[in-house]
Amino acid sequence: MSEKTREKPGIRSRIVPIVLILLAVALIGASIGGYALQGTQESIDNLDQMRSQAVLHAASEGLINNIAQQARADKLAELRKDKDFRKRGLDEVNAICDGAMNEARAEAEKLYANPVVQDEAALQSAISAFEKALAESSGLSQTERAAYAELYVQLVDNISDWKAVAGEGIQDANVISALGNVAPDLLKTENSHLHDGFVKLARDMAVKQQAKEDAEQQNQLLTVLATAIPDWNEYAGLEKDALWDKLIQEAPELAGGEKFQDALLKAASEHIAAAEKGETIAPPAESEAGADTVSETQADYKYFTPTEALNREETEKNAAYEELNAQLVAIIPDLGSLSSKLQNTLRENIEKVLWLENNSFSARYNTYVAHQATTDSAGAWKMNLASLAKPLLLAGVAVLLLGLVVLFWKPLTERFGVPRTIIALFFVYLCLLAELYNISVRMMMGNVLERMTMYGVLVLAMMPGIQCGIGLNMGMTIGCISGLLGIVLALQFNMVGFPALVFACVSGAVVSLPLGWAYSKLLNRMKGNEMTISTYVGFSFVSLMCIGWMMLPFNNPKIIWLLSGKGLRVTHSLLGSFAHLLDNFLAFKVFGIKVPTGGLLFLGLCCLGVWLFSRSRLGIAMTAAGSNPRFAEASGINVNKMRTVGTVLSTVIAAVGIVIYSQAFGYAQLYTAPRQLGFIASSAILIGGATVSKAKVSHVLIGVFLFEGVLVFGQQIANSVVAGGGLSEVMRIMISNGIILYALTQSGGGRRA
Amino acid sequence: MASEYILEMNHITKVYGSNAVLKDVSLKIRPGEIHALLGENGAGKSTLMNVLFGMPVIHSTGGFEGEVIFDGQKVNIASPMDAMSKGIGMVHQEFMLIPGFSVTDNIKLNREITKAWPISRLLGKDLEFLDTDSMARDARKALDDVGMSVEEYTMVSGLPIGHMQFIEIAREIDKTGMKLLVFDEPTAVLTESEAQQLLGVMKSIAEKGIAIIFITHRLDEVMTAADSVTILRDGQLVSSFDKAETSPEKLAALMIGRGSDGVIQVEKRQEEVTGSIAMSIRDLWVNMPGEVDKGITLDVREGEILGIGGLAGQGKIGIPNGIMGLYEAAGDVEFFGQKLPLGNADAVLRAGLAMVSEDRRGVGLLLDQSIENNIAFTAMQVKGDFMKGFLHQKDTRAIRRYAEKMIKELDIRCTSPAQPVGTLSGGNQQKVCVARALALNPKFLFVSEPTRGIDIGAKQLVLETLVRLNREQGMTIVMVSSELQELRSICDRIAIVAEGKVVDILKVDASDTAFGLAMSGVKSKEGEEA
Repeated sequence: MSEKTREKPGIRSRIVPIVLILLAVALIGASIGGYALQGTQESIDNLDQMRSQAVLHAASEGLINNIAQQARADKLAELRKDKDFRKRGLDEVNAICDGAMNEARAEAEKLYANPVVQDEAALQSAISAFEKALAESSGLSQTERAAYAELYVQLVDNISDWKAVAGEGIQDANVISALGNVAPDLLKTENSHLHDGFVKLARDMAVKQQAKEDAEQQNQLLTVLATAIPDWNEYAGLEKDALWDKLIQEAPELAGGEKFQDALLKAASEHIAAAEKGETIAPPAESEAGADTVSETQADYKYFTPTEALNREETEKNAAYEELNAQLVAIIPDLGSLSSKLQNTLRENIEKVLWLENNSFSARYNTYVAHQATTDSAGAWKMNLASLAKPLLLAGVAVLLLGLVVLFWKPLTERFGVPRTIIALFFVYLCLLAELYNISVRMMMGNVLERMTMYGVLVLAMMPGIQCGIGLNMGMTIGCISGLLGIVLALQFNMVGFPALVFACVSGAVVSLPLGWAYSKLLNRMKGNEMTISTYVGFSFVSLMCIGWMMLPFNNPKIIWLLSGKGLRVTHSLLGSFAHLLDNFLAFKVFGIKVPTGGLLFLGLCCLGVWLFSRSRLGIAMTAAGSNPRFAEASGINVNKMRTVGTVLSTVIAAVGIVIYSQAFGYAQLYTAPRQLGFIASSAILIGGATVSKAKVSHVLIGVFLFEGVLVFGQQIANSVVAGGGLSEVMRIMISNGIILYALTQSGGGRRA
Repeated sequence: MASEYILEMNHITKVYGSNAVLKDVSLKIRPGEIHALLGENGAGKSTLMNVLFGMPVIHSTGGFEGEVIFDGQKVNIASPMDAMSKGIGMVHQEFMLIPGFSVTDNIKLNREITKAWPISRLLGKDLEFLDTDSMARDARKALDDVGMSVEEYTMVSGLPIGHMQFIEIAREIDKTGMKLLVFDEPTAVLTESEAQQLLGVMKSIAEKGIAIIFITHRLDEVMTAADSVTILRDGQLVSSFDKAETSPEKLAALMIGRGSDGVIQVEKRQEEVTGSIAMSIRDLWVNMPGEVDKGITLDVREGEILGIGGLAGQGKIGIPNGIMGLYEAAGDVEFFGQKLPLGNADAVLRAGLAMVSEDRRGVGLLLDQSIENNIAFTAMQVKGDFMKGFLHQKDTRAIRRYAEKMIKELDIRCTSPAQPVGTLSGGNQQKVCVARALALNPKFLFVSEPTRGIDIGAKQLVLETLVRLNREQGMTIVMVSSELQELRSICDRIAIVAEGKVVDILKVDASDTAFGLAMSGVKSKEGEEA
């Protein structure tokens, strides 16, 4: 009897995965069939035929639209001539015009919608020729523009002083070599065609910079004027020169501003006029000039120059188009009479049909179908199946994976835990979805790597906290803020490069030591409530430092609010200081993925350090104190001391982590920005398989990979599926908080292998 | 149908898993009788009472065999509520009182007297007002019955512990239709005079025809109050008789018994140990919850195995825990003439002491870590063993070697030294604990309840190991155990602790009576001069 009862649930529990796997096999089979069909001559011929139809449709569509629009315009003109035109309502006029337009369209469709092709072979060869020329020139143009864009972004992001690079009187060759210092690729021979463009860019930027500086200086002088002079009545009635002399006497800072003499005098006379009326004019309000907005630099193609090769390709392409156009005119004679503007539209339409970035079977099929191309009904299902081969394959793989996971649910969840299994499966699904939406998985992987270096050390900071028994250290923001302080100090002293990075790390760590120590003393008094306390402490410290950032006596004009002369700005660009320094160190590209070697090395080094520590006597004692305090006490370990060690370590690593984060991000953000970091780091390490009482280095690495992977892919896919960027942020919050919630429910039970 | 007995429990057998905790036990109680239920810890008293009350723990583990006849009817008591409605009450050892409520509220809790008003007539009985006057009257009467002068409207929270015990009793006797009351060690927390008062109250309750089952360790109380006595030992009924037929000595002897089944056989030492004093404990006070010591004075000789026995909660476990620095302790402890700092586990361990804790899973082991890490941990921390290299890393190979040696020596059954100890059986876990203590190479070993919850084979092995360590390495061992047989089989001398003090130090071959008396706090003539 016992065997029976054991067998029954076995079969029932296997039905679902078996059905899923069978379904997957069917889907994959269909997909293989689809791919096979794609290869047959019949399908290729069919597709070529559809292409001709699509091109013709694109051509005729333009013509029909043109005719219809013309008819509408004619009707409107006719109505306008009418005496009673004004009496008619707008709706009525529109209705009449639209009626005329629809009539004309129907008429035109009858004429042109089904053009009769006399010489199909000639048309097809003309189309093929143009398609080929188009592909070549567009491909070349794309690579050239990409190279240009990369250089552009490098230059704009990394050059802070354009005046020095391209100020007046500097020769072109010198400008180029200066630019080459920032973007060495520019000096390569294949980029020589871009030199003139970039010199122009540099000159424009220098002018812009000068204008901006002038405006700032003028603004500053106006403030000086308004604040330095108490009594304007004394200046009433003075002549221009005398007034100027007097002003300079009173406010010597104005002496440097001869350039703005007129503007300043004008402002002074306004003040005098106001003073005579008994009013005062307030100094100009402080502008938000310091609040740099963090945005990706977009390439401006104004300075782009094509290479000769590209020009040749373009000519060839134009010739091929002439050829095709001749064919089309032969089929639809009226095309020849279109205006040049309409000719251009026509060409654009046709190019859109023929030039596909992703030239796969299904992409072509879908484009042609969108242009009303059809095949004969007998072959239609074949073409459909062939075009669906890829989605079918992806769906098959997805279902197969699901089936396997359900089948091996028990061993999998025992080995990896429920959340890690689900998130890993989710991640694989996102990769499949990305493939489906033609998002480059490789590029995404590059992003994931970059973000791993960004968050890795921060997530690592969670580990000593968990090990020493304080659980998820939400108060790691204390460390983060110390690290930010280190960065701001480095900026204050105008440090650049590796010295700046090292200085920021070290000074951040030094600041975090006493803070972490005090914080651990607090946690030792609140045993059992660490999570709540650390979250509160983290939040309150962020708020406290919001005041702190305003009060601290920094005075480097690059980092303080420009006009008030005190208080740190919200966002500090690290460009020109140590942005991307680690990530670019020894970076190389493999399979088109940029590997941020330095960042990964540093993360590895930190992980190695923490791992070595966890194997030392102190580390072992700390872990024991965390997992069983009474056991540790019985072995003569001071549990409170161990908790302090863990907390301080966690805080210090967080301080280093935020420096690494900022260098990878390119910006250091103060004020409320670090508030959420604790949540992100906790959910990442929990996804990696850690619990609130146990964590290993592997959990950190797996966790940060999965978490960032899901975010990067999810973000892209969410943007592809639903327009608008809000969804990914919602998803991030849902995932990270959901994971924390799950972990907390687990920790309540206490028992978890 | 009238019956001679208010309660008959016939041939009760209860099995937990494969472990029989009650074997064919019968209990008969007449109305108006005070019936003492005696037995060592683990003798089956609590299980018997759980059966009587129909506790969920009984039903969820497969029920029991035998029959319960209450008030002449064969009954099947399904739950504590059911027992209560039939007229069986319990005075708990831990007070089930709500501190923030008044005495009256506590006595009348869930049995409040209410009066109706219009809305409650509409919306049901739950909304009726409390009839505070009659509640207070009832409470007053119940309090008077137990001889309490405390005002019925005082808050419970501020009352002395003794009073709480009486309120608990007042609550039980206030229930109407009460026919049988169970007192579970009611005098454990009372002062001498309060205990006397309680016994008086019990007698007056019994006079009203309510039968009382009186569970206690104090033989003198049994002699004062009880009418008849039932003794359990190892889940079996030893004897049942009227008080008139017995004496404290006889009770003590019956409680301890000298069975031979299941006793570990270890070769006895022939000559007496006459080494110097290894540890001298003077006036040791330990504040370990549930095991408080109030002035232990004890000498341990070098090279002996000293047993510390006594009933649960009397303070025997507090001694090793206090000395090893796990709980707050005060007093003088000298170890080979050196004063030991109390409350500093590290210093004590460095001095050459080690302990195998009674709380294996809580204090003894890191359950989620491997066997080898557990074994090496303390030695690594205290003495810096098993470390190597410039970065002072743990020496996995040395740890593995040592763990393998210990696994072989102590016969730890495991798949590999890397197996997490949480997955081992209790006996093997205990062996890991012993191995961890031995890794320190201690001169002096405390072993606290080493055989609790492990099977007989593992017991034998653990005890043999202790004897071997003692004989071969001359290690001084102090073993604390609730199982007297075990202590008698391997120890040289046995100290019995009761109420936080060493009552007596006995030879292993002292009579059962001497041990029984010592456990209930009476020093017999056979003891040493302590």
